[in-house]
Amino acid sequence: MTLDTLQSYLVEIANTSDPTFSQFASDINQVVEQAKVGQLSNADVKEILEDAQRQLAILEDMSQLAFKEKLNTVLTGLITIASAV
Amino acid sequence: MKQLFVILTVLALNGCALYDAYMLTGYDSNEYRIITEIRTDAYNYKQQCANQLMSESNAIIMSDKTQLFEFYSEQIPRNDNGVRASKNLNAIAQGLKTQYQNNPAVSPLFCKLKFASIENSAAVIQHVVGRRPR
Repeated sequence: MTLDTLQSYLVEIANTSDPTFSQFASDINQVVEQAKVGQLSNADVKEILEDAQRQLAILEDMSQLAFKEKLNTVLTGLITIASAV
Repeated sequence: MKQLFVILTVLALNGCALYDAYMLTGYDSNEYRIITEIRTDAYNYKQQCANQLMSESNAIIMSDKTQLFEFYSEQIPRNDNGVRASKNLNAIAQGLKTQYQNNPAVSPLFCKLKFASIENSAAVIQHVVGRRPR
């Protein structure tokens, strides 16, 4: 896969309506652009892209946790209702 | 009738998901404070990247704080998602410290991007930690 193809994917994601992933893809594309003009070394770019993968993993874990928190609120509410009967 | 509704709702949920949610770790003010400090420091340090001496010291302070957050998170019971997130956050910060240790001439742009990664990740974690059940 060429760099141009990968960048076109990034632009595609950057233009989606999801604000989190749109901004994320836009930031990555800027890093690639800065690397192309020599502002970042290949090692630096690799490290930044690995950080981006770590950030995605954090997003996934926190999204699961947020879901559990919502479910906990529902359960607590249901228990309160049941106790009131 | 209400009790029947509660029982039916509970039975409709997957057992493990239900247990995980019900036994969820509650809000911890220390955990919230540490992640808020990490986010705030990253926000401030990002703006000091042009000063190499200061940035090197900032990278060490930040990596110590993310290490503290990882150690703090890993002993909280039923906190798998939180532990994984704290490990990933710490890995981002340790990478910057290692870069300064290997070669102190770190580019200001790289420093800025690393602190931005830490700031964004800390904001995501803070958002969820702050909403833990109280």
